[in-house]
Amino acid sequence: MFINWKLREINLKIVYYGPALSGKTTNLQYIHAKMNPRMRGELVSLKTRGDRTIYFDFLQLELGQIAGLKPRFNLYTVPGQVYYVGSRKLVLQGTDGVVFVADSQWQRLKANVETMRDMEENLRALGYDPHTMPLVLQCNKRDLPGIAPLPLLQQQLGCNGAPCFASVATQGIAVFDTLKAIINLVVAQAQRQL
Amino acid sequence: MKTGISLPAELAEQIERILADLHRRTGAECILLADISGQLITAQGQMRAIDPVLVAALAAGDVAALTELARQFGEENPHGSFLHEGESMNMYLFNVAGSFILIVVFQTGTPIGLIRLFVRRAAERLYPLTAEFEDLMGQPKQVPDANFGATLAEELDKVFGGL
Repeated sequence: MFINWKLREINLKIVYYGPALSGKTTNLQYIHAKMNPRMRGELVSLKTRGDRTIYFDFLQLELGQIAGLKPRFNLYTVPGQVYYVGSRKLVLQGTDGVVFVADSQWQRLKANVETMRDMEENLRALGYDPHTMPLVLQCNKRDLPGIAPLPLLQQQLGCNGAPCFASVATQGIAVFDTLKAIINLVVAQAQRQL
Repeated sequence: MKTGISLPAELAEQIERILADLHRRTGAECILLADISGQLITAQGQMRAIDPVLVAALAAGDVAALTELARQFGEENPHGSFLHEGESMNMYLFNVAGSFILIVVFQTGTPIGLIRLFVRRAAERLYPLTAEFEDLMGQPKQVPDANFGATLAEELDKVFGGL
C-alpha cells in the first residue's frame, strides 16, 4: 500500500495467482470490459505469441474521492506455467493481497495445490507471512463437468478461513464479488497495520 | 516485512523538486520515480502519450527481469541502470539504492552521457530521502480516516453492482 498525502491517493496492489489456464487473465479481461472506461486504465498483457501470459497482466482501477482519499487499485496476474516461477515471485513483490484462482476440475487439483505451495514459498522468500496476507479463493470453471466440490478445494488448498467464490470467469460469474472481497480485506488489513 | 508507505506531503515535495531539477537540466520528456514493486511515487514532465502508473509498473518489471539476468551472469550487486534506445525516444532506467527506480524518457537527439551524468547526481540527492521514505514503512505519521474502509465498501457496492 502506498499513500501519497500530497496527491491524497491511496494505492493498493492486488495479485491474481493460480495455476496455468485457471482464468486469471480472464478475470482481468472481464473487469476491463465491464468497468466504466473513466474508472479503469488500459489492460496490458505481456504474453507470448501463443497468447499465454509470459510476465504479467496489469489493469488499474480508480475510484473517486472516498473519505478524502482517492483509491487506486493496481491489479496484476502472474504467469501460471511452472517454469515462470521467477516472474511470479517478482510480481508478488509489494502486493497487498492475493486472489488465488483455482481451476475446479479434478484433473487440476494437484496443479492447484502445487501452485498454492509455490505462492506461499514465494511470499515467505519476500518476507511476508502467507497466513496474514489477505487472500480470497476463487474456484473457477464451475460450469465444466468433472469439478471438485468447493469444501474439498478449500480444504486441499488450506484456505478454510478465506472468503471463497464459485466462479465462471468467462461469463463474469463472481468476478466482481471476488474483487470486492479482496479489496475490502486489503483495506481492512491496511487500516489495522496503520 | 514492513508494508505500507504513507508519504508525507513535505517529503513528496522534496522528491518532486529533485525530479523537476533533473527535468530542467536534461530537457527530458518526462521523469518518473517508482518503487521496485511498480508503485508510481511521482512524475514530472509531459505525460501526453503515456499513462505514468502503467509505465511505472512495466519499468519495475523490466528492472526486476534485467537485474535477475545480470545476477545469472554472475553480477554480485546487480543494481545497475538500463537504457532502451528507440527510434524517436530513449528510456533510461536507474536503480536508486535497490529500492526505487528513476525512469527518464528523452528524445534520441539528447546526448546519453548528459542523461547519465544528471541522473546519477539526482540519485545522489535522492538517496537520503529514499532512506527516510523507507523508514516510514509501517510507521506512518498520517493515516486514513477511520471511516475509509466502510465508505469504500459502500462505493464498491455501487460501482460493481450489476456488473
